[in-house]
Amino acid sequence: MKRRISIGTLTMLPVGLLLLTGFLVPIGIVAAYSFMPPRTFALTGNLTGANYEAALMEGYWRPLMWSTVGALATTLICLVLAWPTAKALDRFVGRWATFATLLIALPIFISESVRLFGMSLFLMPGGGILAGSLDALFGVSIGTILNTHLAALLGLIYVHFPFVLFPLLLGFSLIPREQVEAARDLGASGWQVFREIEAPLTAPGAAIGALFCFVLSLGANAEMSILGGQVVTVATRAIEQRFNYAQDWPLGAALTMLVILITALVVLPILRRIDLDRLIRR
Amino acid sequence: MSWRATRATRSLQAMWLTAVLILLYVPILSVVLASLANTRYMRFPHKVWTLDAYREALGTYTTATLHVTSLKIALVVVALSVVLAVFGALAFARYDWRGRSWFRRFLLLPVFFPQPVLGLALLLSFTAAGITPTWQTAAFAHLVWIVPIVTLVISIRLYSYDVIQEEAAFDLGATRLQVFREVTLPALAPGVVSGALFAFLLSWSNLPLSIYTTGADTTLPEWLFSRTATNYSPLVPAVAVIATGISAAFIALGAIVWTQLRRRAA
Repeated sequence: MKRRISIGTLTMLPVGLLLLTGFLVPIGIVAAYSFMPPRTFALTGNLTGANYEAALMEGYWRPLMWSTVGALATTLICLVLAWPTAKALDRFVGRWATFATLLIALPIFISESVRLFGMSLFLMPGGGILAGSLDALFGVSIGTILNTHLAALLGLIYVHFPFVLFPLLLGFSLIPREQVEAARDLGASGWQVFREIEAPLTAPGAAIGALFCFVLSLGANAEMSILGGQVVTVATRAIEQRFNYAQDWPLGAALTMLVILITALVVLPILRRIDLDRLIRR
Repeated sequence: MSWRATRATRSLQAMWLTAVLILLYVPILSVVLASLANTRYMRFPHKVWTLDAYREALGTYTTATLHVTSLKIALVVVALSVVLAVFGALAFARYDWRGRSWFRRFLLLPVFFPQPVLGLALLLSFTAAGITPTWQTAAFAHLVWIVPIVTLVISIRLYSYDVIQEEAAFDLGATRLQVFREVTLPALAPGVVSGALFAFLLSWSNLPLSIYTTGADTTLPEWLFSRTATNYSPLVPAVAVIATGISAAFIALGAIVWTQLRRRAA
């Protein structure tokens, strides 16, 4: 064997360098800033834990909590909604099913600012699309849920639903149809089919979808600004305020590190257990 | 289960799917409807239905600049991400090398990472390094998130690729470069086209990364985001419709190229 760099290592280098400079180094810089003295702009100060103390003591845990609770709720509701949708899409075959799948996928590629803006236009009070139409057609005037937690949650669900649906659909396509039929013939109830066949076989897809949804919602900010009317401050917004208005980089960095920590605690254990190879090889 | 029960389930499922589709498209339809007004404050149903807002959108300098900025970023991202991802996919799915399983997991991390947090981390790093954020830094931020996705898209194509063709070419005396150009690349072409399409669409519509990394430049999604909060006029939904129409055109174009490639490969 010649002692030289293998071709595999060489092909890894471009992407490896990009992720090193664009992902690992920035996280390292944020980590370094999070231990600098408050309100300093250089990385030469003495190491201190003061920012983490401030992040946890001075009420900044609130935005972190809202973001985490919002992300959890969004993930759960999306799973509940995506399950019957994936099952139905999997059951129908042919042109119509392909067309429906395509229609559900398309909005992913429409900017979330456009889609959320559309939701706010629909929900607007008085002259909004919904309120205006009801008033003109039936003479009914309704209020609005705009600028509430509920509206922001609906926005989160709307934007992240496809990210749960498609991995779950992939999971359903892994279930051999005969297996369900055989179970039915042997007298299995709907619940038994769910527990013994569908749930375990779709688990990897569901886990990836849920992970996607949780992580994306954890950082979400636009939903709260456009639909929630900023009734609560979410984590990203709190960080942005520390960086921009308060000019307190170290505190912003400490908050960022806490969000990254929550992400890592959720993502790493699940990613380690999923065999991605088996899922995409199909 | 009886035949009748199956049929009932099926129609229930069809109704559910229809409801999901309607709910998904109501907001998008709302944007289109709102763009057809000529009043500053929306009073739906409009008294006058007009295309004035589109005329204004096509006539003003600001909206042209927005499109150019978004387009510049998207084109840079497409070109660079496709090149990087072809190599990335070869490392991911084609070659066996020490550290591959590690690389595969590492590649997923930026995908499963909150984008605004990545944007903020990059903003802090740029500022700390004395780099003024512009559309170029935004393109870099997009690449960090999009290259792993494009790599996965091309890798899926590589899994169904038969290595024997390459070996046959080597046996016939082809050089490594010739094999890459004549055998590997054409086989990857459909994956590259879908990857390029993904890269374009994801960059074109991205808000959470752009918002923190463009500096003084403004992309379309950023502008739409800021104008929904303040200074609303029918111009805003009209620009949103135009921007979405451009994505749709690229999707159609990509689908056509992709089918052509598939047909030629078959």
